[in-house]
Amino acid sequence: MRRGGRWRAALPWPALLAGAVVVFGAEYALSQATLVATYALAGLGVVVVVGQGGQIALGQAALVGLGAYAEALLVAAGMSPVVSLPAAAATAAAGGALASLPARRLGGLYFGMSTLAFALIVEEALVRWESVTHGAAGFAVPALRFAGRAVDTPAAQAAVSIAALIGAMLLCARLFDSRLGRAWRAVREDEVAADACGIDPARAKLLAFVVGGALSGFAGALYAHWIGFISPEQFGLMFSFELLMLAFIGGAQHLSGAAWGALVIVAIPQAIAVLRDALPGEVARAAGLETVLFGVVIVVVVLLRPGGIAGRS
Amino acid sequence: MNPFLKPALVAFASVVLSAAQAASVTPGVTDREIVVGTISDLSGPIALLGVPVRDGMLMRFDEANAGGGVHGRRIRLVVEDSGYDPKRAVLAARKLVQRDQAFAFIADMGTPVVMASMPVIVDAGRLHLFPFSPHESTYLPLHPLKFQNFAPYQTYMEAATRHMVQAHDYRRSCLLYQDDDYGLEVMKGVEAALGKLGRPLVEKTSYKRGATDLSSQIARLRGADCDFVVLATVVRETVAAMSEARRIGWKADMLVTASGYSAQTHELGGAAVEGLYGVSVLPHPYAEGANRQLADWIQRYRTRFNADPNVWSVMGYTLADMFVRTAEAAGPQLTIDRFARTLEHMSFTRDYFGSPEYRFSPTDHLGNRYGRLAQIRNGKWELISDYLK
Repeated sequence: MRRGGRWRAALPWPALLAGAVVVFGAEYALSQATLVATYALAGLGVVVVVGQGGQIALGQAALVGLGAYAEALLVAAGMSPVVSLPAAAATAAAGGALASLPARRLGGLYFGMSTLAFALIVEEALVRWESVTHGAAGFAVPALRFAGRAVDTPAAQAAVSIAALIGAMLLCARLFDSRLGRAWRAVREDEVAADACGIDPARAKLLAFVVGGALSGFAGALYAHWIGFISPEQFGLMFSFELLMLAFIGGAQHLSGAAWGALVIVAIPQAIAVLRDALPGEVARAAGLETVLFGVVIVVVVLLRPGGIAGRS
Repeated sequence: MNPFLKPALVAFASVVLSAAQAASVTPGVTDREIVVGTISDLSGPIALLGVPVRDGMLMRFDEANAGGGVHGRRIRLVVEDSGYDPKRAVLAARKLVQRDQAFAFIADMGTPVVMASMPVIVDAGRLHLFPFSPHESTYLPLHPLKFQNFAPYQTYMEAATRHMVQAHDYRRSCLLYQDDDYGLEVMKGVEAALGKLGRPLVEKTSYKRGATDLSSQIARLRGADCDFVVLATVVRETVAAMSEARRIGWKADMLVTASGYSAQTHELGGAAVEGLYGVSVLPHPYAEGANRQLADWIQRYRTRFNADPNVWSVMGYTLADMFVRTAEAAGPQLTIDRFARTLEHMSFTRDYFGSPEYRFSPTDHLGNRYGRLAQIRNGKWELISDYLK
C-alpha cells in the first residue's frame, strides 16, 4: 500500500474510538482501546513473520511472554521503563532469533511445528525457573510509571498503547518499503527464486523473527502492566492461535491488518456482551452464548473477506 | 440582568446539583434494585464449575426477589463470561463497573481472572466478595472491600494431611500434583504437615494440566514404595491416577483435595476410586438420605434448571445467601461501606447443607479455614470427620 493509502487506512480509527466512547462509555471504551492497540502491536509481529516473511509461526505468544516477564522482572529490580521496555523488546527479539534457527534446515509446516515446540519450551521454562519467574504461581506487576507518574487510568493506558502502536506501524511501514521488506516478500513468494536473485533467505527469515519478536515482546511488556498479573499459562498455545487468527482475520499481508484483527478479537466479544444484555433472561444466560456468537462473526468475516478485513474482498 | 444569564445559571446549578447527587448515590443501588456482578467461566477450562455456581446464585437471588427482595429491592445478577482469559476479565470488570454500575462483585472465578480484575474493582470502590481463587491477596493485606470465603488449599490440606498421617500412621507419604499454582499451594500444605510431624515427603511428581495418561507418575510413586499419596488433581486426573494404580495392583491410600471432591469422581471412576479419601469444604448434595430441607432444595433446583445440583451449585447458593443476609442486616440505607462493615460482624451458622460456620471480623476477612474428610464408599462420598482445625 502506498503512503496515501496508509493514511486513508488510518482514517476510520478516530471515528471508531469516538463512537465506542459514546456507545460504551469513556472508561470501558478506553480500556478496550488499550487492549486493541496492545494486541495489534503483538499481532504486528505475526504480520511481519507470517504476512511478510511467509513463515508459519505457531508460537508467537511465547515471545509476548518473554517480553512480559523481562519487563516485569526489570521493573521489579527497580529499572526505569525507558530502559526496561526496550530491554523487554530485545529479549523477545533474541527469543525470535532463537526460534528462527530451525528455518535454516526446515521449511513449511515442519518449521511451523518447531515454533510450536519453542513455545512449549518457553512456557515450561517459565514454570520451572521458579527462583526467577515465581513459577506457575505467577506474580503481580505494578503500574507503568513514567517520570514518577503512574500510567494507571484507562485514558493514560490507551494513550501509551496507541502511541506505541502508531510508532511501531510507522517503523514497519519504513521496513516494508526497504530492501529488507522486499527480501521478505521475495522469500515469501518463492524462496528458491529469491536465493537465485542474491537474497539470503536464512538471513531474511532470521530478521523477520527478530523484528516480529521485538514487536510482540514490546506488546507483552505493556500487557504485563495493563493486566497487572502474569503467569505462564497466559502465554500458552491458545494465545498463539489467537494472534494467528488475529492476523488472518485482519489481513496478514497488510500493516493495518493487525489493528483490524485486534479489533475483532478484543472488541467484538465486548459488543456481543453488551447486546446480550438486551436478550430475554433465559436466552442471555445460555452458557457459552458469547463464544458461539463470536464464532459466527469470525465465519462471516472470513467468508466475506477471505483476504482479511484490510485485504481485497 | 442579561436575559440569557438567568436560564444559564439555572441550568448550570441543576447540572452541578445532579452531579453532586450522582456522586452521593451508591452505585448499583436504587429504590427498586441492587445490581450484583460476577465474572465467571462459562466457556473456558473451568466452565464445569462456573455454570453450577452461577445457577446456585441465580436460584438464591430469585428466591429473595420472590419474597419481596431485600428491603424492597430486587437483586439483579449480571453475569460476564471471561472464559478464564484475564484480558476479557479486565474488560468485563470495566463493563460491570461503568455500564452496569455493579454494587458488588461476587464469586469471580480463576486466579488469573481474579488477579487481573480485582484492582479495577476495588479501585472503583466496589465490593470484591468470595472469589474462587486460592490467592492470599484476595483477603490479605486487610482491605475494606475484599472478603474471601475459601481458604487457600495450603491451609486445609495441611490439616487434612496431618490428620490422615497421624490416624493411619503412614510412613512413606508422597504427592502427585498439577504443575500450576494450585499444585504448588497443595505441596506447601503437605510439606508443612509432614514437617510438623517430623516425617519426610518421600516422593513427589507432577503432570501438566490436561494430561490423561498418568502411568509414568504412578509407576514412579509405586517405585518409591509410597503408602499414602496426596493428589493435587482435578476430577479427570484423580480418576486416571486411581484407575492406573488399581490396574497395576497397587493399593496405596490416596487423598484428593476439594477440587477432586465431586460426584463426577465416583460416577466416572466407578470401582477404581472406591476407598479414595477427599477433602470437602461443603458436602455434595445427594438426594438419597438428604434431610427434608435439603431434599426440598434439590427438588427446587431440578425444577428450575432441569439438572441435578452438585457441590458447586451449593457453593453458589451459599455465597448468594450470605450476600442476601448481609444486605438485609445492613438495613434499608444500603451503601458499600455499610455492607462491608456489616459483613465484618456477620456469623453464618452451619445449615442444612452441612456447611462450615463462616465468620468475619474487622481484622479477619477470611470466613472459613477448614475442610473435613470424606471417603468414597459404595459409590458415593461419605463424610468421615468434622471440620478439621
